[in-house]
Amino acid sequence: MNEASLIGLCAATVSFGALLYLAALGEMVSEKAGILNLGVEGMMAMGAVTGFMTALEFGNPWLALAVAVMAGALTALLHGWFTVVLGAEQVVSGLSLTILGLGLAAYLGKNAVGRPPGAVLAPVDWPVLSDIRWLGPVLFQQSPMVYLSVLAGVVVWFVLSRTRTGLALRAAGESASTADAAGHSVVGLRLAAVAVGGGLAGASGAYLPLSLTPQWAEGITAGRGWIAVALVIFGAWKPGRVALGALLFGGTLALKTRLQTFGVDFSPILLSMLPYLLTIGVLVVISIRARNRPSPAPASLGIAYRREER
Amino acid sequence: MSRPVLVRREQALRGGQPLSFAIGLVVALTIGIVLLLGAGHDPVAIYERMFVAALGDPDSWSVTLNRAVPLGLAGLAVAVAGSMGLWNIGAEGQILAGAMMAAGVARIGEGWPGPVLVTAILVGGVVGGSLWALGPAVARSQIGVNEILTTLMLNEVALRLVQWLIHGPWKDPDSFNFPLAPMIPDHGRLPTLFGRAHVGVIVALVVIALFAVAVNRTAWGFELRVAGSSGATARYAGISLERKTATVLVMAGGVAGLAGGIELAGTADRLTEGISNGFGYAGIIVAALALMRPSGVAAVAVLFGAVQIGGQSIQTMGVSSSVSTILQALILFGAIGAGVLSRYQVRMVPGDPGDPGDPGGDGVQVGEAT
Repeated sequence: MNEASLIGLCAATVSFGALLYLAALGEMVSEKAGILNLGVEGMMAMGAVTGFMTALEFGNPWLALAVAVMAGALTALLHGWFTVVLGAEQVVSGLSLTILGLGLAAYLGKNAVGRPPGAVLAPVDWPVLSDIRWLGPVLFQQSPMVYLSVLAGVVVWFVLSRTRTGLALRAAGESASTADAAGHSVVGLRLAAVAVGGGLAGASGAYLPLSLTPQWAEGITAGRGWIAVALVIFGAWKPGRVALGALLFGGTLALKTRLQTFGVDFSPILLSMLPYLLTIGVLVVISIRARNRPSPAPASLGIAYRREER
Repeated sequence: MSRPVLVRREQALRGGQPLSFAIGLVVALTIGIVLLLGAGHDPVAIYERMFVAALGDPDSWSVTLNRAVPLGLAGLAVAVAGSMGLWNIGAEGQILAGAMMAAGVARIGEGWPGPVLVTAILVGGVVGGSLWALGPAVARSQIGVNEILTTLMLNEVALRLVQWLIHGPWKDPDSFNFPLAPMIPDHGRLPTLFGRAHVGVIVALVVIALFAVAVNRTAWGFELRVAGSSGATARYAGISLERKTATVLVMAGGVAGLAGGIELAGTADRLTEGISNGFGYAGIIVAALALMRPSGVAAVAVLFGAVQIGGQSIQTMGVSSSVSTILQALILFGAIGAGVLSRYQVRMVPGDPGDPGDPGGDGVQVGEAT
């Protein structure tokens, strides 16, 4: 193990961490408002394919990112329409959204398989900072998506915990009838949260073909949407803890391809089980502790709100 | 100014779920036409090809029925748990676990006589699936861990376990270093009925029928449904929720695991990464369309089998097989929408169009006034 490969590992940990963080942050916003969206994988795929196609067509990575965010949000709103407006089962609708998103992405991207990207998001070159030994390559030579994910994290934290809108949104997820009685539109809040969540998932998806793995391939999301769902639980629905979890889980993704370089004789496939097993562990701990203190999960998570059944 | 709101009907429309299903199918096929036209394909030719490939003659029926087996059993695995208000999202992992255990049995029992080996493989599938569901079952019943998330996480774990087995310990030495598990012995394969249809079709049908009877017609099933509709009522009636939750989830795992065993011995012939090609997730849609009733699962599974087999056939026409994936999800969304409309009606009410409001809620206000 030498210095260069260790720096490479740390840099990749941050990149993958940001990828997971964007999607997990979106899922967290949605769940905070009470809507479980198991369609993350599908929304990421839609973001990835629309981002890649837009870049191919117009050659502008920022336009591609914007389109991917829109595509993710629109895909999410399908879930929103069915679960928030029509009160359908969130689990079923979300999983169908994953299936639909993966199918549509494969269909739309069929002719793009193997083509070189139309545009990529070039790494940001920060003055002075990028040249710092160790810290420079790990933190300050990253794709713009990494810095955007940090910004998104701060914004989400601020809005959720420091604004009236955030309070109303959390109320919709904790006790929808209370939020309703306080004069907030539960439907509006929940739809907005679902759309924001989808937009972030779309951005996360676009990060793949626009910078991390610059090409389109069917199944490019490779189950990372499920890790994002896991991360929300692992991070106990808190933006800061989710960020730490994202680095940890991102680290396992980064390490997976590097185990052999480091001369570690351990199956990379077994290593990739770690995020899921850790999350199950956290779920168990949350449940055991829930006997003495409230669970960190939003109380109305997964429950449709119909005013008539209040 | 007036605006439309949804108002709950006093009685749901007649026709109910089959009608919703049909509407979902029509919606899906219509959106499919738009997608196909958009890509410059001929929708009529493609749908015709799908229909012929899936249901055109006994041979295609046999393939469709084979495909309906894992879909139906996965649907049953979801529906059985769903009858009690539990979400088994883990059918995918349970199918894989069943297939792994079944493949293990096939390795040990190479020298056993055919009927013994085939039976042992299927039992192995059941055991593997049950074991995979045991963790979530115990965690849910003893400490209340949400089974949606544990079963979901274990799907990804099971997939990686299969990958590890076929890249490592179970890699076929004769596979020229490809990550392939060896074929199971010929006498361990399921006997065929007609065309390519294998005995698994009958096994699945019997299992589904047994569960349908058990859930709808026995005291056990009644307790299950009571527990599903109200935990408090069930407790009051002396039903042990803990025990029932654990049993039901483990049974659901066993049912999905059986599908893994049948796939191994019936169609795949070796353990592969794609042996449960999303069957577990499709099973959730199947169960949802069957309204979580075991009795409805078989019919939906055959239709989904047909859509999947039809989807595979159009690849030769240069059309992505993802069309069938899209259709399956759209059928569900269409059916949910139709299902809601059969319970609600659209009514115009005077109101402020600027207020996004809560349609369901406003509807009830009107309902109370009338």
